[in-house]
Amino acid sequence: MSFRKVAAIARKEYFHLIRDFRSLYLAFFIPFLLILLFGYALSLDVDRIPIAVVDHEHTPESRDLIRRLNASIYFDVVLYPESTAELTQHLDGNLAAMGIIIPPGLTADLKAEKDSPLQVILDGSDPNYAGNARAYITAVVGQWNKERLVTFLNRQGQEPVQAPVEARIRVWFNEELESKNFIVPGIVAIIIMIVGALLTSLVIAREYENGTMETIRSLPIRASEFFFGKAVCYWFITLVDVLVAILMGQVLFGVVMKSSFWLMILASMIYISVAISLGLLISIKTKSQLVANQMAILLTYLPSLLLSDFVFPQQNMPVFLKLVTRIIPATYYIDILNGLYLRHLSFLQMWQNFAVLAAMTGILLGLNIRALKKEGL
Amino acid sequence: MSWLRIRELVRKEFIQVFRDKRNWPILVLAPLIQIVLFGYVVTTDVRDIRLGVVDHSKTPESRRLLESFDANPTFRILFHLENPKDLDRLLLQRRVDVGIWIPPDFQATVRKGKTASIGVHVDGSMSNMAAVRIAYTSIVMDEVGTRLLRDRFRRRIKFGEIDLRVRTWYNPNLDSQFYYVPGIVAFLVMLLSLLLTSMAIVREKEAGTMEQLIVTPLRPLEMILGKTIPFILIAQAQMIMVIGFAILWFRIPMAGSALLLLGATGLFLLSTLGIGLFISTVSKTQQQAMMTNFFFILPFFMLSGFVFPIANMPLMVQWLTHLDPLRHFLVIIRGIFLKGTGMSVLWPQLLELALLGGGVFIGAVNRFRKRLD
Repeated sequence: MSFRKVAAIARKEYFHLIRDFRSLYLAFFIPFLLILLFGYALSLDVDRIPIAVVDHEHTPESRDLIRRLNASIYFDVVLYPESTAELTQHLDGNLAAMGIIIPPGLTADLKAEKDSPLQVILDGSDPNYAGNARAYITAVVGQWNKERLVTFLNRQGQEPVQAPVEARIRVWFNEELESKNFIVPGIVAIIIMIVGALLTSLVIAREYENGTMETIRSLPIRASEFFFGKAVCYWFITLVDVLVAILMGQVLFGVVMKSSFWLMILASMIYISVAISLGLLISIKTKSQLVANQMAILLTYLPSLLLSDFVFPQQNMPVFLKLVTRIIPATYYIDILNGLYLRHLSFLQMWQNFAVLAAMTGILLGLNIRALKKEGL
Repeated sequence: MSWLRIRELVRKEFIQVFRDKRNWPILVLAPLIQIVLFGYVVTTDVRDIRLGVVDHSKTPESRRLLESFDANPTFRILFHLENPKDLDRLLLQRRVDVGIWIPPDFQATVRKGKTASIGVHVDGSMSNMAAVRIAYTSIVMDEVGTRLLRDRFRRRIKFGEIDLRVRTWYNPNLDSQFYYVPGIVAFLVMLLSLLLTSMAIVREKEAGTMEQLIVTPLRPLEMILGKTIPFILIAQAQMIMVIGFAILWFRIPMAGSALLLLGATGLFLLSTLGIGLFISTVSKTQQQAMMTNFFFILPFFMLSGFVFPIANMPLMVQWLTHLDPLRHFLVIIRGIFLKGTGMSVLWPQLLELALLGGGVFIGAVNRFRKRLD
């Protein structure tokens, strides 16, 4: 392999990029936008659930319940409809996600030491949101019951009583329980796929569409020289993107890496190589930019968004898809990111992930060279 | 305006799309693969909480506590350990989600009527799921606490509790697919219509055939219609295909009117095709067009409430989401599928979608015409 020939191809690709100024600046702006959105606006943490309370009682007990709901970070009582019919309208119109009906007679029941039903109506259309809401309301009411029981016993009995068990909760790895702490690092994996794989998927297909592939075939260069020449510019652009993303996460949103920065760079370099080899392989195989683009979305962007354990847990997937996740490069990269950003793992604790990514790079490189040779290079 | 010329251009466009055998998988297979993928994957339900426990008390009281976790279908005790250090190791290796440590003096404390602290170590890395795991753990612990108290004071207790009765509307089993699959349909329609329109037009520019079209007697408006009508038809056909698949494969019931849905799709396509046209006017190469597409698609996706609840966003961003056509279309398609709502409830979304789509489309058409003149 001649370095001079690689440089020549790279130079040509570099001019393409510089001339196509907008692609280049979008390659930097899109990651910027994504990090900004994820750090600032998007959160998976369900809190301040808007609820509507129909209070048929207006007694100290019912007010105590409403006050408890409002005091919890999970709920916001936003509406006080008069009737169940009005409540239904609010739920239909998405003004509240949960309705609570305090029935007439609740206070009397409780004073008579009888169990009293509390009706909760949940908008189940967003199951994640509703699942959280259900867990939180059950926890709030359960706690209320427990505390009322303790008060009751203390009023009754001779000896002072305390609640027997209390959970001393320690949250690990993401101590503030904020979703941005795992989403902002994870988005780096998505950015690498968008810039590294989607952009490069057009690069060789374009040569076919414009007929310049014929010219390249007639040049005295080898497949590997052509491949590296094509890859090198995009490789560096993507790497700069990663650096920008790391920096923005840290400076703007306080998402701090717990392990070594250099390990992160090493992992990213390998993963970028995987992404770019994938993009170029798709490009060689499809020979049409439109098809290549769609294939790249399907084979690189979507799997790394959906199957990589980024926000959708692999734990929940059916067995067949669990197997598929094993061949998705992003699975291993996200695992490394998780280890570096949250768990403070060392290289020795994650070397398998590095090895898998390196092996994938090797295989994809081989496939690329073979495909190019078949095309007559 | 001549319908004949429009028809011929539409015909040419169809021939061009369907002649290339490589386009077939994109048009048919890709949407189906995506809907299956999304349908099975997009969920953050907490179904199964893996527990590791260290019981240093080994008394009836502590066993009571652990049995309550065991009996709860959400929890699964995977490891009984001796050393709290092992608990931390398992958490680090992601083999358990929650670790519980019962101190040696548990029984004594409880019998004295004091509060015993139970160590609960939670893997917080996916914070949204961790919050639910914490809530479930507290529910079980409170239950155990209440029961231990009741047992001790059985003789003199007659105490009324709040009996929580949760009824879930619209999606009673909290089935993720019911919620996400209609959303995926909307997302796919956007993805395909945006990409196909903009890239098909830019391809003509790149290949130099745009010049030829300009010298034909085609008028600008005819050209725009001829270029967009095929994609409206293709997108609507894909919509029907994907919805059919959703109903047959995922067994998603459709509560509302299919006609309303098709109408709303039309309004939605106005925006996406408008943006597609706009992108084609500002892009010289397909690479540019693709990157510009992503510049629109990603924020549209993120801000639509598809995965990230809009209620969680800062207020200013919540206002911004009104500029996102996908947001309105999602409310409509989910309303029609899940709640069976009609015009009476959905009119604000339809109106906003119409205004947005109309504005974008007219703006794009004007720009496109200027480029041609």
